[in-house]
Amino acid sequence: MTELKHYFAPTSLDQAVECLKDGDVTILAGGTDLTPQSQAGRVKIKHTLMNIRHIPQLTGITLEGREIHIGALATITEIMEHPLVRQHLPVLVEACDHFASDQIRNAGTIGGNICNASPAGDTLIPLLVLDASVELASMPEAKLYRHTMPLSTFFVGPGKTRKSLCELVTGVRIPLPEQGHVARFFKLGTRPALDISTISIGVAGTLRDGVLSNARVAFGAVAPTPTRAAQTEQALEGQRLDAATIEKVAAIARDEVKPIDDVRATAWYRKEMIHNITKRILSHVAQA
Amino acid sequence: MNVAEKKARVIEPDSLIGKRIPKMDAPEKASGRTRYIHDINLSGQLYGKILRSARIHALIKSIDVSAARALPGVHVVITAADIPDQRPIGVAKDHFPLKVGRVRSQRDEIAAVAAESEEIAEAALKLIKVEYEDLPVISNPEDAIKPGAALIHPEPHGADGSHLHLKQGMSIAHKGKPDNIAMRFDYVHGDVVQGEAESDVVVEDTFKLHYVTHCCMGVSGMIAEFDASGNVLMYSNTQVPFLHKREFAEYLNIDPARIRIIQPPIGGGFGSKLDIYPFEVICLYLARAAKRPVKMLFTREEEFLASPTRQPVLLTLRSGCKKDGTLTFRQVHTLHDNGAYTSWGATTPFVMMQTFSSLYRVPHCDYHTAAVYTNNPYAGSFRGYGNLQATFAIEQHMDMLAEKIGMDPLEFRLKNAQDAGEVTGQGMSFKSCGFKDCITTAAKRSDYARKARENAANRDKPGNIKRGIGMASMLHVGGGAKIYPSDGCGTILKMDDFANVTLITGASEIGQGSETVLSQLVCEELGLPISAVTVVNNDTAITPWDVGVHASRTTFIAGNSAIGAAKKAKSKILAVAAKKYGTAEDELDLRGGFVIQAASGEVVVELSKLLRNLHFQDKAELVMTTFYYEPPSVHQDKGFKGDVSAAYAWGSQVVEVEVDTDTGIVRMTKVTGAHDVGRVLNRLGIEGQIEGGVVMGQGYALTEDLLIQNGVMKNPNFRDYKLVTAPEIPEMDIAFIESMDGEGPQGAKGVGEAPSICIAAATANAIANATGVRMFELPFTPEKVYRALHGQTPKLYWKPWKAE
Amino acid sequence: MSLKHDIEFTLNGVKRRVSVDVTMNALAMLREVIGLTGTKYGCGEGECGACTIQVDGVSLNSCLMFAVDCDGRNVTTIEGLANDSKADALRESFVEHGAVQCGFCTPGMIMQADHMLHKHAHPDEACVKRGLEGNLCRCTGYKKIVDAVVACGAAEVTP
Ligand SMILES: Cc1cc2nc3c(=O)[nH]c(=O)nc-3n(C[C@H](O)[C@H](O)[C@H](O)COP(=O)(O)OP(=O)(O)OC[C@H]3O[C@@H](n4cnc5c(N)ncnc54)[C@H](O)[C@@H]3O)c2cc1C
Ligand code: FES
Ligand code: FES
Repeated sequence: MTELKHYFAPTSLDQAVECLKDGDVTILAGGTDLTPQSQAGRVKIKHTLMNIRHIPQLTGITLEGREIHIGALATITEIMEHPLVRQHLPVLVEACDHFASDQIRNAGTIGGNICNASPAGDTLIPLLVLDASVELASMPEAKLYRHTMPLSTFFVGPGKTRKSLCELVTGVRIPLPEQGHVARFFKLGTRPALDISTISIGVAGTLRDGVLSNARVAFGAVAPTPTRAAQTEQALEGQRLDAATIEKVAAIARDEVKPIDDVRATAWYRKEMIHNITKRILSHVAQA
Repeated sequence: MNVAEKKARVIEPDSLIGKRIPKMDAPEKASGRTRYIHDINLSGQLYGKILRSARIHALIKSIDVSAARALPGVHVVITAADIPDQRPIGVAKDHFPLKVGRVRSQRDEIAAVAAESEEIAEAALKLIKVEYEDLPVISNPEDAIKPGAALIHPEPHGADGSHLHLKQGMSIAHKGKPDNIAMRFDYVHGDVVQGEAESDVVVEDTFKLHYVTHCCMGVSGMIAEFDASGNVLMYSNTQVPFLHKREFAEYLNIDPARIRIIQPPIGGGFGSKLDIYPFEVICLYLARAAKRPVKMLFTREEEFLASPTRQPVLLTLRSGCKKDGTLTFRQVHTLHDNGAYTSWGATTPFVMMQTFSSLYRVPHCDYHTAAVYTNNPYAGSFRGYGNLQATFAIEQHMDMLAEKIGMDPLEFRLKNAQDAGEVTGQGMSFKSCGFKDCITTAAKRSDYARKARENAANRDKPGNIKRGIGMASMLHVGGGAKIYPSDGCGTILKMDDFANVTLITGASEIGQGSETVLSQLVCEELGLPISAVTVVNNDTAITPWDVGVHASRTTFIAGNSAIGAAKKAKSKILAVAAKKYGTAEDELDLRGGFVIQAASGEVVVELSKLLRNLHFQDKAELVMTTFYYEPPSVHQDKGFKGDVSAAYAWGSQVVEVEVDTDTGIVRMTKVTGAHDVGRVLNRLGIEGQIEGGVVMGQGYALTEDLLIQNGVMKNPNFRDYKLVTAPEIPEMDIAFIESMDGEGPQGAKGVGEAPSICIAAATANAIANATGVRMFELPFTPEKVYRALHGQTPKLYWKPWKAE
Repeated sequence: MSLKHDIEFTLNGVKRRVSVDVTMNALAMLREVIGLTGTKYGCGEGECGACTIQVDGVSLNSCLMFAVDCDGRNVTTIEGLANDSKADALRESFVEHGAVQCGFCTPGMIMQADHMLHKHAHPDEACVKRGLEGNLCRCTGYKKIVDAVVACGAAEVTP
C-alpha cells in the first residue's frame, strides 16, 4: 500500500468513479468512522483521500416509483426527519433515534454506516428487514456503470463487504411497505443512544388477521455481520402470534445466533437477550 | 457632600450567606476564554511523550534509542540510564519515574522524548526498541499473598545471584520487598468476641468493589521550564502545590525555593491530582535536558492507562446486633489490590476504618486491611477515599440485620445513629451532628417507608419492571483531616483605594467553586459586594502555604483562614474610623461598602473614602492582613484513634430504581438526599457539588467499570468505559440540614466528597427491595444484574486472610 | 512529511485560508493551526462532545471531522458565538444556573445547546437531555446544565 499522496473532492459522480478506478482510494463521507479510525492508526489512508461530500448525485431522499431512494450522503438526522421516511419507514426512524448522539447523527451518513459494515451498525438492521438493496457505481470501462445488490448479501465480515475497491455506494433503495406491514427495532443498552449495541433486533412482516407473512428478522452484534435469521424467519412465517408461538420462535432465535464474548457482554447474555427481546417485540407486533 | 443628606442614608442589613451566587469564573469559562494547561503554549516549547511498557511484568533486557535520537526534530530521548540520580517516587517510594530494569504494569514508563511536535515525538517513540524477558503476571491479590507467590518488588541480586547487602533505610525502589504486602492496617476498639457473644443475629458477607477512575474531562498535562539560572517554573494541576514543590525539588536535587508552581484552571480533579506521578517528573527531566520548555499532555487513552484508579477492594464483613436492634460489633477484613506501586489508594483504610468504627454506634470493632502488590494499575485517591467501599458493605448489612430481627430498617438505623456530643470508639467527637435529621428527612421526603413496603409486596406481581427503594447514610470528615504535620491554610488580604479586595489564598481552585465561597465569606465580614473581590490562588510564588485540596477541607479550612484575615482587616478599619469620627469601634460596622453605625445602619463614611484617607495621610497606611488557620483537630495515635477532623459531615440518601427483569437493566429514577452541611454558604454551588457527586455515585453503582484482565486494561476509552450521560440522570431532591458547626466558617462543614458515598449502597438496597436479590459485587451492569436474578451468580466468599 | 492541502472557509463569520495536513482533524486545526482554544479535546473519538462546533448550521464533533472537509463551509466555534445575542442569553443562563463547574465541557455544551435551541425553540427537559446525550460532564451531574438550557428556551416565550 502506498502513502497518502493526493486529496480529491470530486463534484460529480463521474469524476468520483473515474478516480476510484485504480482502487487505491480511501473514501471520506461524514468522517465519523474514518477520522477516529485513521487517527488511531486502525485504518491507513491510501494513495488518494477522496471526499465525496460535494457530489450532488449522492444526496437527497426521494420516492422513485414503488421505492424510496436514500442517497449515500443522507445523514442520520436527515433520514430521521424526512417526511417520506417518517411516513413509510418508521422503523428506520426508530433506529436512527437510537444512533450515537445528535452531533454524530448530524455528520454520519447512511452510506458510511453501510460501508463501515459494523455488526452493530444501527441502520443496517431495519434496512435488512425492509429488504433494502445497495446501489453501487463504478467505471469499469470509460462509462459509468451502476447496479444494485440486496443488502442481505452485501456484508461478508466485520468491516468487509462485497463492494469492490473501485465501487462507490451511491444510495439504498427500499421497497415501499405494503398494506399491513409491521416493523419493529430494538437496541439493547442502558443509554437511549450513545452506545454500541450489545444486541439489536429488527422484525418485520405483513400482519393480516393475526397471521404474520413475509417474516423478516435480523440481528445485530451477534455475528461477524448484521444478519438475517433464516431459521427464526421460517419459524415465524405464516404463524399466528399467540403466546406459544412467540415462546417457540424466541427459543429458536436464541439457538440460531452464535455470538461471542467481548468487553460489552458474554455470549450467554447475548443469547438470553435475543430470546427475551424477540419475545418482547413479537408480543408488541401481536398487539399491533 | 451635604452632611445632613449623608446622615439620612441608612444601609439595610443584607447577607450573601445561603444565596445562589454564580461562580466568579463562570462567564470566562462559558465563553471558551479560560486557558487550561492544554491551551497554554510557551515560545520555544517542545512536546514530550512517554514510551510505556508493551508488557505487564517483564525484565527490560535492552533499550535502543538510537533511531529515535536520529529522527529530525527530536531534541531529547531519555531512559533510566540517562538519569543516574533518579529518586524513587510515590507514597511508599517504590518506583522510579523511568523504570529501571523491570516493568511491573501496563503503564510503566520506559523512555521519554521531547521533540518539535507531538507527531514527531510519537514517531520517535515508535523507533525505540525494547527487549523484554517476560515474568509471570500476578493479576489477582489473592494470588499475590499466597505463600511462594512471585514477588513484584524482589530484592535485587548481584550479577552472580548473590544477595546484595543494601543500606538500611533505603526505599523499596532500591532494596525491594520480601513479600507482596504494601501496607497493613489493624485497628480495634472494644472486643468483637464479646460483641459477637452478645449478638442475637450475625451476618457475614463478602463484598467486591471494582476499578473505576476519575475521568476528568481535561486530560492530565504539564509544562516545565528551567530558566537560565536553573530555577524551575511548572504549570501543573497538582492539588497540593506546596508539599509537591518540596518533593519535586528532591527529585531534581535542588533547593525547593527554586521551584515555582503555577496552577492554571483545571479540567476536573476529584482527588486525582494528590500524588506526584511519573509523567510530571519525566517532564521535568526532559525540560532540564532540552533546556527548553516542555509540554506534556495525555491522550484520553493514556489518561485511562496511566491515571490512578479508585481502590478496588475485596472485603468480608461480619456484623451483629441484638433483638432489640442494638448493633453489637463489626469485624472487617479487606484485601486491597494495590497495583504495582503504592499511591494513596493504599491509605484509604484511614477513612474506611472510620466508617466501620463510627458510622452508627458500634461498641466493638475489629478492622484489618492488607494492601498487596500485583501487576495491575495502581489506585490513588478519589473523591470519597474508601468511604464508598466501606459504606457499600455496612449499609447493606444494616438492611439485612434489620430484616433478620424483623425490625423496620428505618427504625433500626435511627436506633443506632449518634447524636451531637457523642465520641466514637475511634475517638471522633461529634460536636455538631445532623445524622438522625438526615435519615428522617431523606426518608420522609422520599416516602421511603410506604414505598419500601409496597415494592416488596409487588415483587411477585406480573410484569418485567420491578420498582425498588433503598437507603444509605454516610459519615465523612468535614473539617479537614489531620494527616500531615499541619492541616492549615494561609491567607493574605489586601484592600485597595477603592475598597476592592484581593484575596490571596493558599487553597487551590479545582472547579469546586472555592473562589466564590471564599469571596462570599470575606464580603460578609467586610460588607462588600462579591464583585469587589479578586481571588489569587494559583501561584506558589505569591500564595501563602496550604496543605492541599483534599478531605473536603477547602471551605472549612481556607474559609476560616479567609475569615480570619477579613476580621483583622475589619478591626483595623473600624479602629481608624472610630478614631476619626470620635466613636467607639464596637458601635461601628461595615455594610454595603460603607462604615455605618451598627445600631441604626446610618452611614458614617464611604469605605473607599476612608481607605484613601488612611493611605494618603502623613503616616500613610494600607489595609493588608495575613492569617493562618490551623484547625483544632488532632493526629491519630498509633492505634488510629483520635479526633482527626474539626467537624464531621453526615448525609443520607434514598435511591429509587426500576429493574427490568428481562434485561437486567437498572434505571435510577430518583435520588433523595439530606446532607448535614453545617450551613449552606452558596446554595447554587453546594447543589452543584451534590448533584455532581450523586451522578458520580450513579456511575460507580451502575455503569462505570474499568476492566482489567491479566493486568491489561480492556476499555481505556469512553466507548466502553461508560460515564453517565444526561438522559440517564435521576430526578434529584436534595435537602440541607443546617447543624451550624461551632468551628465551621459561618457554621459550614466540608461536603465535597459526601454526595457520591451512599449511592452504590442505597442502590444495592433498592435492587434488593425490588427483586429480593442481594448483590454484593459492583457495578450493577445489566448482565450482572440479569445473572443475579437468574441465580447465575455464585455466592462470593473470601476467607479473611490473617497475616501473622 | 505529510500531505498538505489549502482550504478556504468561513470561520466565525470571517473568510479564512489555511494550509492543513490532509490527515489532521478539524479540532487540531482549530486549536493548533488557527489558535482558537475554546474548542476542547476530551477524547478524540466522538464520545465526549467537548469538541462540538457548528458547521453549515448543524452541530458536530470537530474531532470526527477531517480539517480538509471544512473547505467551502461555514464553521462556528464557541468564540464565534460571542457576537450572537441568542447565545448571550444561553451563556448567561449557564452562569446563573450554576451549570459551569470546572468548565471544561462547557464550550461544547453551549455549542450543542445553541444548535438544539435553533431546532426546538422551547425544548422540555426530556428533549434537552436527549439533545445533550453526546456531551459528557464529570462535575455537574448535568442537572444544572439541563435547567440552564430549558430556562433559556422558556425565557424566549415570555418576552
Ligand atoms: C462515538 C461514536 C458513536 C457511534 N455510534 C453509532 C451507533 O450508535 N450506531 C451506528 O450504527 N454507528 C455508530 N457510529 C459509527 C458511525 O457514526 C456510523 O457508522 C456512520 O454512519 C458512518 O458514516 P460516515 O459518513 O461518518 O462515514 P465515514 O467515516 O465517512 O466512512 C465510513 C466508511 O465507509 C466508507 N464510505 C463512506 N461512504 C461511502 C460510500 N458512499 N461509498 C463507499 N464507501 C463509503 C469510508 O471509506 C469508510 O471506510 C458511531 C461512531 C462514533 C465515533
Ligand atoms: S474530543 Fe471530540 S467528542 Fe471528545
Ligand atoms: S463542568 Fe467539569 S466537566 Fe462539566
